[in-house]
Amino acid sequence: MTRFRLSLKLLWRDARSGELTLLALALLIAVGGTTSISLFADRLQRTMNLQAAEFLAGDLVLAGPAPVDPQWLAKADEYALSGSQTVEFPSMLLENGEMQLASIKAVSETYPLRGRLKTRDAELQDEVVSSRGPAAGEAWIDKRLLPALKLKLNDTLTVGEKVLKVTRVISYEPDKRGDFYSFSPRVMMHLDDLAATGAVQPGSRVHYAYQFRGSENALADFKAWLQPNLNPSQKILDIHRDRPELGSALQRAERYLGLSSVVVTLIAGVAIAMATRRYSERHFNATALLRCLGCTQAEIVRLYAAQFLVLGLIVSAAGCALGWLAQYGLFRLLKNLLPETLANPGGLAIVYGLGTGLVILWGFALPPLLRLQAVPPLRVLRRELEPLPSSGWLVYGLAAAVVAALIWRYTDDPKLTGAIIGTGLLVLLIFGLAIHTILQLSRRLLPRLGLHWRFGLRGLLRDSRAGVGQILAFAITLTAMALSFSVRSHLLDDWRRQLPDRAPNHFAINILPSSLADFQTDLQREQIPDSRFYPVVRGRLVAINGEAVQGRVSKDSQGEAATQRELSLTWSDRFPEDNQITDGAAWQADRPGQVSVEKKLADNLGIRPGDQLAFTVGNAQLAATVVNLRSVQWDTMRPNFYMIFSPGTLAGFPATYMTSFYLTEAQKTVLPPLLKKYPAVTVLEVDQILQQFRTILAQLTAAINLILYFALAAGFSVLFGAVYSTLDQRIYEGALLRTLGARRRLLRIAHLIEFGVLGLAAGLLATLAAESILYALYTRVMQIDYQVHVYLWLTLPAAGVAGVTLAGYWGVRDVVRQAPLRVLRR
Amino acid sequence: MINTHSNHSASAIINARKLGKAVPTSEGTLHILASVDLIIKRGESIAIVGESGSGKSTLLSLLAGLDTPSSGSVEIDGRDLNRLNEDGRALLRNELVGFVFQSFQLLPGLTALENVMLPLELSGVADAEQSARALLQRVGLAQRLQHTPRQLSGGEQQRVALARAFVSRPAILFADEPTGNLDRKTGAKVIDLLFELNQEQQTTLILVTHDMSLAARCQRTIRLEAGSIV
Ligand SMILES: Nc1ncnc2c1ncn2[C@@H]1O[C@H](COP(=O)(O)OP(=O)(O)OP(=O)(O)O)[C@@H](O)[C@H]1O
Ligand SMILES: [Mg+2]
Repeated sequence: MTRFRLSLKLLWRDARSGELTLLALALLIAVGGTTSISLFADRLQRTMNLQAAEFLAGDLVLAGPAPVDPQWLAKADEYALSGSQTVEFPSMLLENGEMQLASIKAVSETYPLRGRLKTRDAELQDEVVSSRGPAAGEAWIDKRLLPALKLKLNDTLTVGEKVLKVTRVISYEPDKRGDFYSFSPRVMMHLDDLAATGAVQPGSRVHYAYQFRGSENALADFKAWLQPNLNPSQKILDIHRDRPELGSALQRAERYLGLSSVVVTLIAGVAIAMATRRYSERHFNATALLRCLGCTQAEIVRLYAAQFLVLGLIVSAAGCALGWLAQYGLFRLLKNLLPETLANPGGLAIVYGLGTGLVILWGFALPPLLRLQAVPPLRVLRRELEPLPSSGWLVYGLAAAVVAALIWRYTDDPKLTGAIIGTGLLVLLIFGLAIHTILQLSRRLLPRLGLHWRFGLRGLLRDSRAGVGQILAFAITLTAMALSFSVRSHLLDDWRRQLPDRAPNHFAINILPSSLADFQTDLQREQIPDSRFYPVVRGRLVAINGEAVQGRVSKDSQGEAATQRELSLTWSDRFPEDNQITDGAAWQADRPGQVSVEKKLADNLGIRPGDQLAFTVGNAQLAATVVNLRSVQWDTMRPNFYMIFSPGTLAGFPATYMTSFYLTEAQKTVLPPLLKKYPAVTVLEVDQILQQFRTILAQLTAAINLILYFALAAGFSVLFGAVYSTLDQRIYEGALLRTLGARRRLLRIAHLIEFGVLGLAAGLLATLAAESILYALYTRVMQIDYQVHVYLWLTLPAAGVAGVTLAGYWGVRDVVRQAPLRVLRR
Repeated sequence: MINTHSNHSASAIINARKLGKAVPTSEGTLHILASVDLIIKRGESIAIVGESGSGKSTLLSLLAGLDTPSSGSVEIDGRDLNRLNEDGRALLRNELVGFVFQSFQLLPGLTALENVMLPLELSGVADAEQSARALLQRVGLAQRLQHTPRQLSGGEQQRVALARAFVSRPAILFADEPTGNLDRKTGAKVIDLLFELNQEQQTTLILVTHDMSLAARCQRTIRLEAGSIV
């Protein structure tokens, strides 16, 4: 107990005298960075799950072609999940002598579990948001059905054998399925009316969906229970499966954030190691005395371990608080962008932050700290006696273990973790050897250099082990930061490209050729920019080189989906902007009978340039020769097509036109009159989805920037850590040289040279390392063409020289300032 | 076995036999001490004198168990240091030995009081503070208890060091040029105190010094020349 008190006392004194400041700062940064990121990511994830759940109208959806075993629903009850049910099927509607195929959706009382329905009146005004579907006996219908079936509100509509009253026009349905171009207009009705329609018979095409809502754990348990019971035709939908574009953006960002916090940890760890090195060196004397007074080695370890434990706990707690604040501030900043329903930050992240703090501290501080137990007591008489430096295996091994554990946590991939750590250690080893050799060589050069250079380089060569260590530390730091920056810009560019500020947020389909010109004029008058108008002919791909297409596809593939339904066929003499020819000849489109095929579909179906494709359009046949394959960016919100024909190929087939355009919030008022004027046209409003996507990206971007600030702060702590770790020796030597008559100018220039060379070496190494890692990352992981980052070659060495020189110069300013006598007497 | 040893030389608290120390250097082995035999009786005060570099500090460090000899052996209170490991010697030091150094060697982070309490705390004594206060009073620093070494003059620091050395009532006190860093007058005061305390506690004193007048105050003087007693 008294020992522990002694530990606390020593810790308190050290803290007060500033011995621990840098150490604590580095740890604070590491813990603050990781905690804020894990808190943020955790909270974002849960908020987004809430949002994404809207698009499923539930947290979890079980879908299939037949009703499920009632026992399953009972099971869901057991897990305290609330549930709803929808049944969708196509049905031909006949009213007022008109015929129209519609998609009927019967919904239970509790539908939608997540998200809201929006309906309007016949004038397409007066939008009402509601959290339940139509009452029994009523039907809500798609606007398109009004003209198509010559209906008005409050008319009756017969679905199968059931007569319903049309009460509202449905304008938004959270869980609408199917692609933008091909769905029949909706009729929504109450589930209780379903049986009376008689429309659902064995063998009819019906889509049953069961939505569930509840706590994450219960959902996970239920899902785990369901999975083994599913038959092949049944599917579980959750956000990651159903919203791939969101899922992948999130996943990439999460990985990036996770790895960035590892980067912060690594950099801060380097600073911690350096600060602890200085700490232990400054405690050699005290330790020797304690040994002299009878402390055993174990007691010495316990004494310091207790101090570091307390320090670790206090600073980690502060780091958690900092992380929480940073995360809170971030969410505050983004308040306008965020949905009202924000998930609360998870408490687990705090516990994790505390744990991380201790692990980081021990991982990086233990080796230099352990050195203290080996301080010989004889040091009280012979000051030059120093304990052996801690073994490199221990230093790098422990640090690598900590970093590996963190990377593993974020990637969940032992192989990848192993690869990263292995490569990292190999690079370190090679670099270490290289630096060592270079230092040895320059030692030979020393006598031939001028005075300033000799003094400057001698500073580096003084202790070549320490010199190598310092250059490596700076190089690691710079590499980590360069990687962080490059990947960040890559991510952000990618998102910006995907979603430019004025990305189209509305699709207009079904524009009749007769009203095309008017529609275009109307858009122009409202100054609404469109992304070209494309003709659309619905047709089905039936054969490739005379061979029926059905046999060529694997089940559940994109190809299967494409061959089972009609495709939107278009013609054009030029491709949409972002399409790129990947194979085959240029698009001349000089005669009919040519077609360009989207690359992935082509790969899936084994289509090559030169192949003959056969289509059916209505009852007619159509043949075309594949000229080339094209890559398509589906997520740009512009019209895109699997098949583009040369003009003239589709002549004579009935076509409608489609486009997409961007509307500001204020411009949305033009929609109702437009829709009224062109009853056949359907406008799909994707602005909400886009807005959601954008807010998520904004949040992620902010988080990414935040983590960069932490990385930057950690980088500075390394700079100062490195400078301070050799400060005592420098001050002493400086004083000595000055008593021997060296002028301050000489010392200053020598310092500049030393730090400049140090920074340059670190910068060059970092450039090499960053380039190789980015190369591997881009070509192997992201599969992108690699280009040499010229800016890296310029900025990294420059940043190295500037950063190290400035920090070093500032750090050692005392060396030339203090009176030599005072220093030497100490 | 320990018992037979104690009986064998009941009055000898330190028994050094054929003590030698050699260190390898780039110019071959350097023999610092060669075959030193020395028996120091309980309660005796002994001065070690000799020119700079003659091996005085080396001998002291071997006798105190701070370092291990290349040859020969040292027994303290009947215990053979060669048979103890580093930690065993540390415990022995804690139990039996006090030190005063030329460069004071106070912990800069602790106050005078805390510095003096340190050896007691390390051996787990309960009323460390009381004893420490008493001793600081004894060396005339009752008013400076809460001052850190930096706030004390050299002479005061050495008095704190004296208090620390005596507070655990060690059987043996090793002093390596305790006045080396002090001016004559201050040094004399410190030495007076040292001898007074030594008298009071009947401590065995081994004092390394250049100062012959100081050596004369000890019961016995041994002279080292090039690592041998002459
Ligand atoms: N570990 C060592 N390695 C090399 N030389 C050593 C070592 N320890 C002691 N010496 C040398 O042994 C000699 C004796 O040293 P020691 O410190 O015992 O002398 P001293 O008599 O105490 O001198 P002073 O009066 O100057 O303190 C010196 O020349 C010293 O340099
Ligand atoms: Mg000496």
